[in-house]
Amino acid sequence: MATDAHHPDTSKLIRLLDAVEGPDAPVTTPPRPAPARGPLGRTSPVPHRDFVEKVAGTLPYADDWGFPGMLHGVVVRARVPCARIASIDVSEAQGVPGVRAVLTAADIPHNAISEEASGLGIEQTVQPVLAGERIRYDGEPVACIAAESMVAAVHAAGLVDVEYEDEDGVFTIDEALADGAPSVHPGGNTYVAYHSAIGDVDAAMARADHIIEGTYQTPRVDHAYLEPESGVGWVDADGVVTLRVSTQVIEHARALAEILKLPHSRVRVIAAYMGGGFGGKEDMTVEPYLAALVWKTRRPVRMVWERQESLLARQKRHPFRMHYRTGVRDDGTIVAQDIKILGDAGAYPLLSSRVLFAGGVNATGPYRCTDARMQSTAIFTNTVPTSAFRGFGAMQVVFGYESQMDLIAQRLGLSREEVRERNFVARGDIRVTGEPIETECGTRECMHRALQELGELSAPTRGGRVGRGFACSMQPYGRSMFFADRASAWIGLEQDGTLVIRAGVTDLGAGQAASLANIAGEILGVTVDRTSVHIGDSHLTPLTGGTFATRQLYMSGNALQKVATLLRDKLAPVACDLLGCTESELEWANNLVGVAGDRARSVTMAELSRTAEARDVMPYVHDTYHAQVGHFDPDTGQGQTYPDYTHGCHAVDVEVDERTGEITILKYVAVHDVGRAIDLQRVEGQIHGAAAQGIGYALSEEMETEGGVLHSTLFANYLIPTALDLPDLTAIGLELYLGKGPFGARGIGEPPIGPCGPALASAVQDAVGVRMHRLPMTPERVLAALHTGRDDSVPGVTREDT
Amino acid sequence: MYAAAFDYVRASSWSEAVAQLAELGEDAHVIAGGQSLVPMMMLHFAAPSALIDIGGVDERTIELRDDGTLVLSALVRHADLEHSDVVAERVPMLTQAVRQIGNVRVRHRGTIGGSLAHGEPAAELPCVLIAHGASVHTLGPEGARTIAVNDLPVMQLMTALHEGELITRVEIPTLTDGQGSCFIEMARRPGDFAMVNAAALVTCDDSGTCTAVRLVLGAVGNRPVDVSPEAQELVGHTIDDANSEAVAGAIAAGAEVIPSSHAGIEYRREMAGVQLARALRGASEDARRRRSGEAVTV
Amino acid sequence: MTATRGHLISISINGRPTEFAVEPNLSLLELLRTDGGSPEVKLGCGEGVCGTCTVLLDGEPVNACLVWAVQADGCEITTVRGLAAEGELHDLQNAFLDHAGSQCGFCTPGMLLTVKWYLDRHPAADREELRHAIAGNLCRCTGYTKILDAIEAYRDLRLKDGDGH
Repeated sequence: MATDAHHPDTSKLIRLLDAVEGPDAPVTTPPRPAPARGPLGRTSPVPHRDFVEKVAGTLPYADDWGFPGMLHGVVVRARVPCARIASIDVSEAQGVPGVRAVLTAADIPHNAISEEASGLGIEQTVQPVLAGERIRYDGEPVACIAAESMVAAVHAAGLVDVEYEDEDGVFTIDEALADGAPSVHPGGNTYVAYHSAIGDVDAAMARADHIIEGTYQTPRVDHAYLEPESGVGWVDADGVVTLRVSTQVIEHARALAEILKLPHSRVRVIAAYMGGGFGGKEDMTVEPYLAALVWKTRRPVRMVWERQESLLARQKRHPFRMHYRTGVRDDGTIVAQDIKILGDAGAYPLLSSRVLFAGGVNATGPYRCTDARMQSTAIFTNTVPTSAFRGFGAMQVVFGYESQMDLIAQRLGLSREEVRERNFVARGDIRVTGEPIETECGTRECMHRALQELGELSAPTRGGRVGRGFACSMQPYGRSMFFADRASAWIGLEQDGTLVIRAGVTDLGAGQAASLANIAGEILGVTVDRTSVHIGDSHLTPLTGGTFATRQLYMSGNALQKVATLLRDKLAPVACDLLGCTESELEWANNLVGVAGDRARSVTMAELSRTAEARDVMPYVHDTYHAQVGHFDPDTGQGQTYPDYTHGCHAVDVEVDERTGEITILKYVAVHDVGRAIDLQRVEGQIHGAAAQGIGYALSEEMETEGGVLHSTLFANYLIPTALDLPDLTAIGLELYLGKGPFGARGIGEPPIGPCGPALASAVQDAVGVRMHRLPMTPERVLAALHTGRDDSVPGVTREDT
Repeated sequence: MYAAAFDYVRASSWSEAVAQLAELGEDAHVIAGGQSLVPMMMLHFAAPSALIDIGGVDERTIELRDDGTLVLSALVRHADLEHSDVVAERVPMLTQAVRQIGNVRVRHRGTIGGSLAHGEPAAELPCVLIAHGASVHTLGPEGARTIAVNDLPVMQLMTALHEGELITRVEIPTLTDGQGSCFIEMARRPGDFAMVNAAALVTCDDSGTCTAVRLVLGAVGNRPVDVSPEAQELVGHTIDDANSEAVAGAIAAGAEVIPSSHAGIEYRREMAGVQLARALRGASEDARRRRSGEAVTV
Repeated sequence: MTATRGHLISISINGRPTEFAVEPNLSLLELLRTDGGSPEVKLGCGEGVCGTCTVLLDGEPVNACLVWAVQADGCEITTVRGLAAEGELHDLQNAFLDHAGSQCGFCTPGMLLTVKWYLDRHPAADREELRHAIAGNLCRCTGYTKILDAIEAYRDLRLKDGDGH
């Protein structure tokens, strides 16, 4: 095949499934089913290409696609939690036959992963790509290797000789905050501390009839997506370092360019469809090591992390310790809130500044309070760094504020519903940051619907005690407004009337790509089977920002709505001309544009496209959607934070085995106001999936460490729910009040993960009379609480404190 | 997931396997299902120099002898036991136990011989077999012998098998008239490693009075323990809540409990008591149903 | 390094027999994903617990990550691409599309094989039995509800059609 600078030799880019069939055999992928299939959305009865390939098994994930003769890369990791590196000797490793590169800190051109993550000017502590001087957590990378075979790479990894001098470390928040504690980084163990306040909290507290205090603890958990961190990198014919990886953020290409000291135009990241992300692929995973090895060897390199390696060393969710002081009147009205949050950031900040921000500014939940104060602090410890995970700080605090509401109800002798009804926020209410809520709040309706759906109290199934509980939440969607979020997209009509969309979204399985086709179809009437969506390429698709913060529908969805609308508006005069009508009479549907109410008068999109082009009206648009911009002052803690929120309520019946502490979920209902559902089936899927993770978080998932060392790195010991651990969940997406997404949609990816923990804790209390203050509610902890009548499992809290 | 290199040969008979094992040396290992061995190799906890594949050395038979003994080839897989009518009828605890091993894929490879030879303290099958008074036949460089299953486990991942000795057959006395059984496994999730295993086999007369009891506690210590002696005070009585709790509680109080990543020591001690009591009551109820001719589904 | 211990083995993948020269320490999973041309068989954990590497070996579900390729000599392997003819979709796959039983899709190949294997043996299984049947296939995206909906729809279709495919 002829090659030139503009047409790299793509014959080398084979899909591995060609290997058996031969290079000449066409790769046949199944056709999309006929449109008569069941509905998947208003304008798309046909499933998007990626879902067809997923069930067929033909979708190439990041490790399913590579080059003949590519090298295999591994990361070599320190297995001590806190130490100084005295020496590194890689000579023996380099001597292993087949090894092509062994890199240490000195080999990385700019050995730093740094970005100003906070958006508020908070200095980002630098994290090295490869540790050269100090090890700050068990599993920190010290070297990376590329070899002709995995066996050689693994063998060489075992021969990298590092001399460590153990140092005293801090492994819990309490140890990190103790006087004279060793510092994880120069500058002390407090990384960032936010504070916001409105009104006069102390005066309001003094006027309260009761002050209710509670301390709550949430765990360090892993994303446990089924697809490991993986990717392939190569240098293309233009000298561009190109990575095709499982990632949520292609914009990391810039960070990679900085690391390699290359111009940004010489690094390109392509995002494969992910086998799950949930925030665990929001920071870089394999990218820096892959890029460095590719750049060093100038050969294609593949890297896939082992599951045990991922459990050991890849970023986790921040454990939060939350202390709430709530002043209330006798009738349950909240008059004052004083909230302190401590989050364990692990050894490096990553996105800690944003997570603790999100937790802090959402700590009061969907409850009105005119005199409130919050402090939210990220603390360094010598443990695995913590960062983004679905819910992102704002989900941890749901356990805090909902536990408080139940505690208030209990202390005042009011019902749990009553206490909430009295305090639910409404549009216009002012948050602790001084900003008003801009859209209608459907929390009340969600609560009523969830409790109604549960129906009669379930009967016990195994001789235990049954109880009912529920919890409400208010979870932001979209990035904090001071990030001036943007998303760009390109949309164009081909000459035959089919549609091409280019948008740099990354797809983690929630239909990110599919929804773009759906939105375009809603506006232009081109059906999904005649739409091609190209996503996730930092050089070839307009950047949309990463898939996180439940922002993708809001941002790229709005971007698509914008460019599709602009294209329609651009083509409308041509259509009017062809049809002899006015713009208001145009109807765009089923690959035709016609006159409303007159079936005979229509033209195909093909005709429209060709006519437009002939008249020099180019049938494509490239534009950018700008999110609402806001400003926040971290010194005063006042300003604008998130553009909008999704309200919801989960209600559950549980059965508690009083002899073992085991909790069985009998019935579970999750209700959220989604504003407008683009695809209700996908919305329900998100509710199911997020709630499943929330239930695992509430009952069984935890990465327990001692002295900075994990108890187990086996996947067998990381307890995510199986099909037998979850009930059939009733997921209800209500279309109550319009939000700020396309067509008025509200984000749904994250919100359903928050209410699970407190809803289950509420139900356990109803069943057996004890309130759990710590997640997960393992059988052991529940039984201990049953024995003593109270939960004493929150670390750092003694009986006297509460 | 890469194991160190090794040689691979297939044996066509038990005696050939024993000979190959002797010839290839002490770093050689046999492999049948591999569901315990291969993960250890992948995680670099084991690095055999050679694997002798015994997966095909016999026909994996399950036979009921005239004297009521169930005879299993050591190569019988958990899935074979799971789907066997004769096992469900004659050693129902085995059916109960095998359903809880791992997942469907593990059960289609893992073997009863492999489980017994591996010596994992949380394994289900040794508890059931000890309760039934089962024994294994072995073949080694010094010839054949019989070992009571109760004498097989020594401690974690160590058994009484000699160097180069292989389990070839398992013989299990089956349920007789008047008997009932119950196996309970407590794990964090279905298929996970057990926190507590309890196997109870009781014999009751027509009035429901217990005339004999066998009780085994597994997964809390470093090997399964035959605690039948401590359960003898139930003989002569009908098993009820009070006496089953009392016996189980006393056993649990004195049990050796080793650390585990799944739960703390005192919790597992308490659960040992709870599950032993439940197993005793379950076995008594099972005996009652069989006695009365009620349909019993395992 | 040690001398090569190469073995010549013959494995049939979705009905196509092929010979491979392999080292003993090559897992069946690794063989399938590389020279075997079957990257639809996934690596999820390497411990046998997640189910993404599920294949049918002589018609029975096994962990491809825990079988050495040499052990599979002479065996028939079925992957998800063996459910239907190339370029077509099996009714079970269509059911997953209709009911959104797949989000990220990584668990889907293994899940489909397990379901097909189970329903072939228990065509009238109820929802609880089906839940048990998939207990060994982990999914992190769907919470399993829609997967079970899809399986039940397929089961009902099969029972109605009566020809058990």
